[in-house]
Amino acid sequence: MSVLDRKLARELVAARWLILAIILIIGVGVTCYVGMGSAYLNLTEAKARYYRRCRMADFWVELKKVPVAELDRLADLPGVAEIRPRIQFYSTVDVEGVEEPLNGLILSLPDRRRPIVNGVVIRRGSYFTGRRQNEVILNDAFARRHRLGPGQWVRLVLNNRRQELFIVGTAISSEFVYLLGPGSIVPDPEHFGVFYLKQSFAQEVFDFEGAANQVVGRLSPHARRRPREVLRRIEDRLAPYGVLHTAPLSDQPSNKYLSQEIAGLRSFGMIMPMIFLAVAALVLNVLLTRLAEQQRIVVGTLKALGYADSQVFGHFLKFGLAVGLAGGVLGCAGGYGTAEGMTYVYRFFFEFPRLENRFHSALQLSGLAISLLFAVLGSLRGAWSVLKLRPAEAMRPRPPKRGGRVFLERARWFWNRLSADWRMVLRDVVRSRVRTAAGVFAAMMGASVLVCGFMMMEATAYLVDFQFQWLLRSDLDVAFRHKRGEAALWEMRRMPGVDWAEPTLHVPCTFRHGPYEKKGAITGLAPGARLTVPRDRDANPIRVPPAGLAMSRTLAEILHLRRGDLLTIQPIEGLRRTRQVQVVQIADSYLGTIVYADIRWLSRLVGEELALTGVQTVIDPRPEKRRLLYRELKELPSLEAVTTRDDMVQSLKETLVATMWIFTGVFVAFAGIVFFGSVLNASLISLAERRREVATLRVLGYGPWRIGSLLLRESLIVTMIGTVLGMPVGYLYAELAAAAYESEMFRFPVVSSAGTWIWTLVLAVLFALAAYLVVQRNVHRMDWLEALQAKE
Amino acid sequence: MIEQRAAGGPILRLERVSKVFQMGEVAVEAVRDVSLEIYEGEMLVMVGPSGSGKTTILNILGGLDTVTSGRVWYRDQELTTFSPSELTRYRRETVGFVFQFYNLVPNLSARENVMVATELSPRPMDVDESLQLVGLQERLDHFPSQLSGGEQQRVAVARALAKNPEILLCDEPTGALDYVTGKRVLRLLVDLKGQLGKTIVLITHNGAIAPVADRVVRLRSGQVVEVRTNPEPGAPEEIVW
Repeated sequence: MSVLDRKLARELVAARWLILAIILIIGVGVTCYVGMGSAYLNLTEAKARYYRRCRMADFWVELKKVPVAELDRLADLPGVAEIRPRIQFYSTVDVEGVEEPLNGLILSLPDRRRPIVNGVVIRRGSYFTGRRQNEVILNDAFARRHRLGPGQWVRLVLNNRRQELFIVGTAISSEFVYLLGPGSIVPDPEHFGVFYLKQSFAQEVFDFEGAANQVVGRLSPHARRRPREVLRRIEDRLAPYGVLHTAPLSDQPSNKYLSQEIAGLRSFGMIMPMIFLAVAALVLNVLLTRLAEQQRIVVGTLKALGYADSQVFGHFLKFGLAVGLAGGVLGCAGGYGTAEGMTYVYRFFFEFPRLENRFHSALQLSGLAISLLFAVLGSLRGAWSVLKLRPAEAMRPRPPKRGGRVFLERARWFWNRLSADWRMVLRDVVRSRVRTAAGVFAAMMGASVLVCGFMMMEATAYLVDFQFQWLLRSDLDVAFRHKRGEAALWEMRRMPGVDWAEPTLHVPCTFRHGPYEKKGAITGLAPGARLTVPRDRDANPIRVPPAGLAMSRTLAEILHLRRGDLLTIQPIEGLRRTRQVQVVQIADSYLGTIVYADIRWLSRLVGEELALTGVQTVIDPRPEKRRLLYRELKELPSLEAVTTRDDMVQSLKETLVATMWIFTGVFVAFAGIVFFGSVLNASLISLAERRREVATLRVLGYGPWRIGSLLLRESLIVTMIGTVLGMPVGYLYAELAAAAYESEMFRFPVVSSAGTWIWTLVLAVLFALAAYLVVQRNVHRMDWLEALQAKE
Repeated sequence: MIEQRAAGGPILRLERVSKVFQMGEVAVEAVRDVSLEIYEGEMLVMVGPSGSGKTTILNILGGLDTVTSGRVWYRDQELTTFSPSELTRYRRETVGFVFQFYNLVPNLSARENVMVATELSPRPMDVDESLQLVGLQERLDHFPSQLSGGEQQRVAVARALAKNPEILLCDEPTGALDYVTGKRVLRLLVDLKGQLGKTIVLITHNGAIAPVADRVVRLRSGQVVEVRTNPEPGAPEEIVW
């Protein structure tokens, strides 16, 4: 180790608290980079492996019913590589020991195992055997949650008949990495499961001999780039059979949620580290500039001794590099740990055959390189000042610091009212431009991270409230397999424990406006419905028009429609008559692309007086009443799904809110490090620069607390300015985050309450105070007599 | 490599050197048209009040500062045409500096402060030997803050010596020292000239030091006003101030 390196090592040790603060900020930045980057790679790799293994489909087509022979011919279409027709139905499920009816998605699989599109991975038990027809394979999460396994029985209502099914195995599939039940936004394996039946058995029980109602398929690599073109051709070919819905892989819900999470990790994994590393570089810049200033004479002496400029430059740069290296190593380790934690959380949401946290060496190295790069950037100004310092100049006394008035003093009225203490504080804040700028920037970034974190938490709470307390207000919804008349509503109203019931009608349609076309559905509501209350942007209720549509903003944007515009709708089922209708209202919803209409108007549109496909209810909360209702509902074969909304909202809140608390906690901790580190640095440097001044003040009779209060006031001014400036930046981040996660299925609200702003201010002050305590300790320990005697 | 020459000839030469400092809006002429030769193996003392330009001349001779006009020669090489890297090499291999305020690196021990110089030099002295030469063999591992002013200055001399330079440039080496210690440092310098044959240029505002020199140059307002040769330089112990 050269002597200069020894000097460096001792300087690092001497400045350890200042350095530690910077190391932590760099560490946080690299932790974000490596952590999110690793989580990104973990998910991306797991997804690719899983999709390959299950031969993940490139498109999904849902139909009413179509002969398999017709579907086989689809494979001749250019771009289509492989297809698999299958049967898909929703059903209620009766699990032994569970009071409420559960929901299931029924899918057919070949009787014998062979490689297929959207295959399954068996977790427990086996694939179908030749022993029974009524065998079933359960999705693993549902089975685990209900302690079901091979050898047990489960009861499903299939085509209006209750069927006992024998469980042969449990499985997972790449199309259900993120398995969503009807109307939910988080997986709920407690209430929703997937049930795979033998193809032959499904054909038999659903009267689908030689027919199917869904096609999944794979495209040629070339066609994969433009799946919608192929889908259009498929749709044209199958039009006579009533195409309900088509989706390329990019629109498939599970894939979409997974891909969005991955994309979010990627963008946040870039933005977040940059914020912290930029702050670290600025703080380091202040520290190193101060160090270079302090060592003018040493620099001059070294140069006089014959050290080349580059050697002295390198010596100062090494200071920054050492800090960067330490921060980088800390961040790499922290990033690995963070990725471990994130991967652990992801396992609750995403079901993979194997999702593990790997050590990504290239990423780790790049994390280290980035921290070094920012450290060098932060050191450059200080090291540069050393580089250009001529030795003779270095030996001469430093030109006196600029004194004189600061701009604030021009406001005489204001300035004359200030005490001497405040004048000192304000002059120093204004004169130490770079230090003040660094402090303001750090506080800005810290505040923006806090605001963004709080706003995301508020958005989540708002989303759940909007969707499940203001928009959808029922306790329990039932969906019928087929269209029913008014009698079905009366039937529901007579059920035990049902206090109130309202009909809904779901009509799948194609919407067309000029060149824009979209498949979707219209939901018919009773006039003045209380259980579904469409809302506008400010969550105020809007009236469903007696004629025409109230369309969700998302769909209106897709179709380029505004209030008052006309569009063409064509029901996919029934008579399929095309109609021109008007968009009377724009409604806001954060989930899906919903369109509301008056139920009688909609019924007439499909040629009926009053039709309904579902009933929403308010039910008696008493358990014994509920039990009775559940028992009755389980006996109703005509039901496709029963959704107990209060349970769902409860579990949704628990999951989302718990997750958000963790993330917000991390945000707060990270922001705290930024605030604490930058304030600590600025104050300690200010104290070191003003040793002589402080000593003089002590001689004049200032106590240590009063001197500390000067520094505290400086920190608070800088922190407050930065925090206030950082708030809109945080708001912007939240908007960017919402935009990044926005899709047809899901929108993230941008909301902020007073709490966000108040908490951000309070925390900023608390973090600054925490740093001040360390500074105050230094003031108390300072040997001011020595400072008075020492020559500058 | 910088070429060595036989003893006795001029080792450094200033030719009509001027130096102007721009201080804000006023130009200060620190050195005016100075011509001077410094001979190998001599001890030259430059005396003058503060502001007479002696430090500027010393810095120019040491390659720390540039001239505004005129030329500076080291043997037959023109210093004033040196590139920054040639100047660095010149400082590294040819000259050693001793400063008024010692300029030791505070967080390095005495031995380490000397090593700062030896690690650079192509033909350094042994570190401990150089410290022994200045009589500090007992305090090798002390830090500057643990040494007296005289001891610190002796470390600085050892540091300058350890590179084994031809020329020692001393900027008020006794300026910050008490009477006794100052004389001891002077004795050290005189011995170094005698024992090691170094060329020594010493600047001081203290005229009492002049008798120990081979030649004395008096400066005033940036100009040489007198050059005097001491046929028989006195011993530092004999001088009084």
